[in-house]
Amino acid sequence: MEPSNDVALDIIITNVVAVFRTRCHLNLRTIALEGVNVIYKPEYGKVLMKLRKPRITASIWSSGKIICTGATSEDEAKQGARRLARTLQKLGFKVRFSEFKVVNVLAVCSMPFAIRLIDFTKNNRPIASYEPELHPAATYRIKTLKATVQVFSTGIICSIQITGITKFL
Amino acid sequence: MTSRICKNCGCSEIDLDQARGNAVCTNCGSVLEDNIIVSEVQFVEGSGGISSAVGQFVSADGPVKAPVLGTGFHTSLGKESRAQTLQNGKRQIHNLGSQLQLNQHCLDTAFNFFKMVVSKHLTRGRKMAHVIAACLYLVCRTEGTPHMLLDLSDLLQVNVYILGKTFLLLARELCINSPAIDPCLYIPRFAHMLEFGEKTHEVSMTALRLLQRMKRDWMHTGRRPSGLCGAALLVAARMHEFRRTVKDVIGVVKVCEATLRKRLTEFEDTPTSQLTIDEFMRVDLEQECDPPSFTAGQRKVKMQALEQELAKKLDEVQGEISLYRDEIETELENSRPKLRGIYAAYAKEIDPLDEVLSQASCSSPREVDPEEDEELEAVAQHLNQDFLCQVIQGEQQGDERGGEGVTEEAPPPHPPPRGGPSLASILGPLPSAASLGLSESIHECIAEDKDSDGKSGSGELDLDGIDDNEIERYILNDKEVRVKTALWMKQNEEYLREQKEKEERITKEKEQGTYKEKPKKTSKKREPIRASTAGEAIEKMLEQKKISSKINYDVLRDLNSKGGSGNSSPAQPTSTEEPPSGPPGRKRLTRRKKQPNKTNMGLATTIMGKRLRPLISSATKKKRAASQVTPNLTPAATPVLPNLSSPPSPNPAPPGPTMVESGPVAYDEVAEDEEEEEVEEPCVSALQLLGGNEYGCEAEEEEVF
Repeated sequence: MEPSNDVALDIIITNVVAVFRTRCHLNLRTIALEGVNVIYKPEYGKVLMKLRKPRITASIWSSGKIICTGATSEDEAKQGARRLARTLQKLGFKVRFSEFKVVNVLAVCSMPFAIRLIDFTKNNRPIASYEPELHPAATYRIKTLKATVQVFSTGIICSIQITGITKFL
Repeated sequence: MTSRICKNCGCSEIDLDQARGNAVCTNCGSVLEDNIIVSEVQFVEGSGGISSAVGQFVSADGPVKAPVLGTGFHTSLGKESRAQTLQNGKRQIHNLGSQLQLNQHCLDTAFNFFKMVVSKHLTRGRKMAHVIAACLYLVCRTEGTPHMLLDLSDLLQVNVYILGKTFLLLARELCINSPAIDPCLYIPRFAHMLEFGEKTHEVSMTALRLLQRMKRDWMHTGRRPSGLCGAALLVAARMHEFRRTVKDVIGVVKVCEATLRKRLTEFEDTPTSQLTIDEFMRVDLEQECDPPSFTAGQRKVKMQALEQELAKKLDEVQGEISLYRDEIETELENSRPKLRGIYAAYAKEIDPLDEVLSQASCSSPREVDPEEDEELEAVAQHLNQDFLCQVIQGEQQGDERGGEGVTEEAPPPHPPPRGGPSLASILGPLPSAASLGLSESIHECIAEDKDSDGKSGSGELDLDGIDDNEIERYILNDKEVRVKTALWMKQNEEYLREQKEKEERITKEKEQGTYKEKPKKTSKKREPIRASTAGEAIEKMLEQKKISSKINYDVLRDLNSKGGSGNSSPAQPTSTEEPPSGPPGRKRLTRRKKQPNKTNMGLATTIMGKRLRPLISSATKKKRAASQVTPNLTPAATPVLPNLSSPPSPNPAPPGPTMVESGPVAYDEVAEDEEEEEVEEPCVSALQLLGGNEYGCEAEEEEVF
């Protein structure tokens, strides 16, 4: 798709998931009691911290592993992650920002036409699968890009891409 | 005949002697092959003159457990795990399939699928029930039977989506492309369940027509086929004057009321719904409709576009209104007497809007005379408002363009600056972002990559772009911390209480010494005991295992001297000494078992027998030991067993499922009885007692295995 096209298709990135490590043990109770927007779930063993500026929800484990979700771009995810690390630093933990990697990117695109799912699935047999009893969309898996694309009959295409370990920002 | 040509002379005349098993060259006489393997069946004469063939049946499926030469016994008929799995699977498939009323052909196909699944190792980590259900559903799909995944999940009481996941995975792995579900398949089944009597066929046909109409109207993509069926059947029933309520249909079709109503409303929206019954049966409308969700989506988009237009128009109208207002005001001002001199300055009312506008526009003149100022300002205000409207629109467009240009690329450039900056800055970057900015942003990204690579290696936190003040706000101060602590404690009281109880329990058990740390799997590796005599070995093992101090070691040593090999049995539980002491140890046990005329013994044997199977023999010996340690020890066999580890209190949680809590009590009785018996008889060595029981023992031995 060239940007100069008249009928431009907007691909909107709706969610970016990233993980990073702080290389130090974190005391979840301290974080829970001294942080502002924090939810502590002791039965799952993690703390949920939500930031406002880049809208991010982070799950923090006591081992120091943190998963950051809700960002709308990879940069934002990194920025949010750094902010989070800085907050933890201020709380008194010796935080080091290491091994940041984007794990999942979710993008949505809307077609101006409807799609016949049954014929679509028939034509792309092993790659696409459609189970109306389970899910209203047909799932199309691209192995080379490690992406899963969900095609809805209304013309909305939703792509979940797992970038895995290769991308380091 | 493996060799055709002699290696020495090249002659091709080779003589095969079956009797001797030789292959000899007739020319030079060199022996080419010796002990030729013969594939003939041999017969052996068995007891009673019956001759039977020598050999074993080997299954073609997988590697067979090598038959033990010599004293090997065929205990469990040599069935290996794979065959058992398949047999088990077959049984379950038949069970489930018969509940679904599938015919034999389908069940066989399902079993074939199952075999494929097992050979691809896809059953690992999955519940057998799920795999079997998925195989059955695969068959249903390929054969086109009217069975839904929901039916299977009903039978198994498992979530549909879990079954669906397994099913999709299997279908993918086995490369089985099942045809898409056609709702028409379900109609006869549901119609039958709705009991239309004689008219069932007619109603089904009507429902089918309706369904086909729905398909053409794009109502069926992305929807559950059962929901569509339900709607079609409901309408068909009404058409043929059957009163079937929504509830009846729901019970049969297994969708919820809301879904059914929605389908009905959607159908209502199509032009077909306007036809009368007769017309519908005769005529088929040509036009097709868009799928309802698509139209809903389009409607939303239209609404949004309308709203935007309205907003724009509002702005314009407002602009006009303010224009008129300004003119009126200016007229009024002009008609009013004006203040001159210093007061003129105070008479000016400074609009806040004015300030913003004057900041925004670089061209608002301030050095004009105060008299003309007001007029000019009014005009300038109006002009600026118009300008602003345009600017806002331009900004929106600029955003879209900016967003567009970013479609394929990875991180977008900095979003165009908003808020109070000057017009020039607003208008400025718009074209650049779209056309030039892209390449810049790409370069930035690449440059960033290189920069941050070094940083991520060191693990240092890059602080630019992080506003410390903002972060300060994220942390509560002391008072807030206290409040929050109290709140949190209150909220999570239950969980905290549970944790405390758990800890208390653990400390109590630790004191008692019965504490078993379940999750920890790493066991201490003990050094193998090296001892010259059995007695020494026993003592060393006892030291290691820290068994009760109530054991009389002297007796033990006496035992050694008398009982001969029987005493190596105590060392049996330690894995190091197992092989040599295995049989004698068991003989000990079985001797206990075989002692006749003791009903209690009978009890003991049954209990023991039960225990033997699930437990390792050492555990059972522990049990007996536990009960026997407490009463006074007498010579003979009793101390042999107690030397095994025996915690003071009986094992709280032995793995034996068949044990009843009253076990220890029973044991005590048995023990006492046995002791008495032991006392009566002079010390008899185990070997003597077991003289004639060789076979029996070994049979027991196998039971243990």
